[in-house]
Amino acid sequence: MAKIYTTPSCVYCKMAKEFFAKHGIAYEEKNVAQDVSARDEMVQKSGQLGVPVIDIDGQIIIGFDQPRLAELLGIK
Amino acid sequence: MYDVIIIGGGPAASAAAVYVARKKLKTVVITESFGGQSQVSDDIQNWIGEKSISGFDLAKKLEEHVRSFSDVVEVKMPERVLGVRSIKCNEATHVCDFEVKTEEGNIYEGKSMILAAGARRRKLGVPGEDAFNGKGVAYCSTCDAPVFAGKEVAVVGGGNAGLEAVVDLFPYAKKIYLLARGDALKGDPITQEKIKNHPQVEIIYNAETQEILGDKFVNGVRYKDVKTGEEKIIAVGGVFVEIGSVPNSEMAKDLVELDNYGQIKIDSKHASTSHPGVFAAGDITDDPYKQNNISAGDGVKAALAAYGYLQKRAKQSPAAEK
Ligand SMILES: Cc1cc2nc3c(=O)[nH]c(=O)nc-3n(C[C@H](O)[C@H](O)[C@H](O)COP(=O)(O)OP(=O)(O)OC[C@H]3O[C@@H](n4cnc5c(N)ncnc54)[C@H](O)[C@@H]3O)c2cc1C
Repeated sequence: MAKIYTTPSCVYCKMAKEFFAKHGIAYEEKNVAQDVSARDEMVQKSGQLGVPVIDIDGQIIIGFDQPRLAELLGIK
Repeated sequence: MYDVIIIGGGPAASAAAVYVARKKLKTVVITESFGGQSQVSDDIQNWIGEKSISGFDLAKKLEEHVRSFSDVVEVKMPERVLGVRSIKCNEATHVCDFEVKTEEGNIYEGKSMILAAGARRRKLGVPGEDAFNGKGVAYCSTCDAPVFAGKEVAVVGGGNAGLEAVVDLFPYAKKIYLLARGDALKGDPITQEKIKNHPQVEIIYNAETQEILGDKFVNGVRYKDVKTGEEKIIAVGGVFVEIGSVPNSEMAKDLVELDNYGQIKIDSKHASTSHPGVFAAGDITDDPYKQNNISAGDGVKAALAAYGYLQKRAKQSPAAEK
């Protein structure tokens, strides 16, 4: 399942979650504000410190990159 | 050929779009996104009519309002404008058509334009800033503060944005260095109070940031004390850059007059620029107050002025309007 690394106050995280919801795609949310090990996992996977980070089967998207998300999720 | 081309999707552009739509002008709105700069804000408390609204909800409302006029207003999003210019000018009447080019490779032509592309965060322009962007260098404290839990960080900028970043970091960062260029802070007194005697905060005055240091991630920042000329390094895991904004006016620099800060000069009565038929509103202009409501109001002015211009233009050159 796709993972979305988020913080509660991040607008682009909300947009990313909405994008998944709108297309009926399940995801697991990891709130890095609460979960330090999730934060470290996110930093390790993405090599950077910004949210959101989205992990789709090991493919890492940094930020709410809608075109890339659509491509990886096969949404037209 | 559109009657009006609106560039932007913030409060200025959205307000302009609503007003030209109600005048039934054939319009295209070209923007990277809706909502504008305060989209990242958790809580906007001064959007008139809303005691509290998140930037996210404001963005949605603006977009919905604009899209409700789909009979006359086309929305091109996400699309990034690279440049605008005049084409086919009538030497006698100074009436021109305009052309807008986008990164996506599209070209739009219009009889008038409203430039409302707002502003973006100012960068420090020091070594290390780009290399460590996202790797400890951050521009959105509301978004990224929690990622710096337990770390020591620096905030650059002694104005409101800098002070608010410090407040955003309170619940997370172990220690916050605030680097201010002057010998006093400039932000709101209430926020200054909050941070001045806070045990987590150390304010460093007269500090000019020189370089952001790091290896894989940021591990320090080098600054110069402008009073003594001494250079110092502090060890931090993050640097939040909060030093104001720059107008997104590059696209129009060969068409309209800009001031020394790159802001489009407007006659604030009519939102008109130095070029007839080109109007501008919001943070892209030299209007001194950069606020959502003001940008929206200026957008309305630009729309009504564009409408007036188009009516006059139709009278002057009826043949060209066919
Ligand atoms: C963090 C933060 C919090 C704020 N909080 C408040 C607040 O609480 N209350 C308040 O009144 N003001 C607030 N402000 C100020 C307010 O956001 C601005 O004054 C306002 O957004 C300006 O609106 P605008 O429409 O002129 O431009 P912007 O909001 O900057 O919008 C510009 C739009 O143009 C688009 N764009 C830019 N370049 C291009 C291009 N080349 N091609 C296509 N599209 C482009 C962008 O995507 C954006 O949609 C805040 C600002 C920030 C940064």
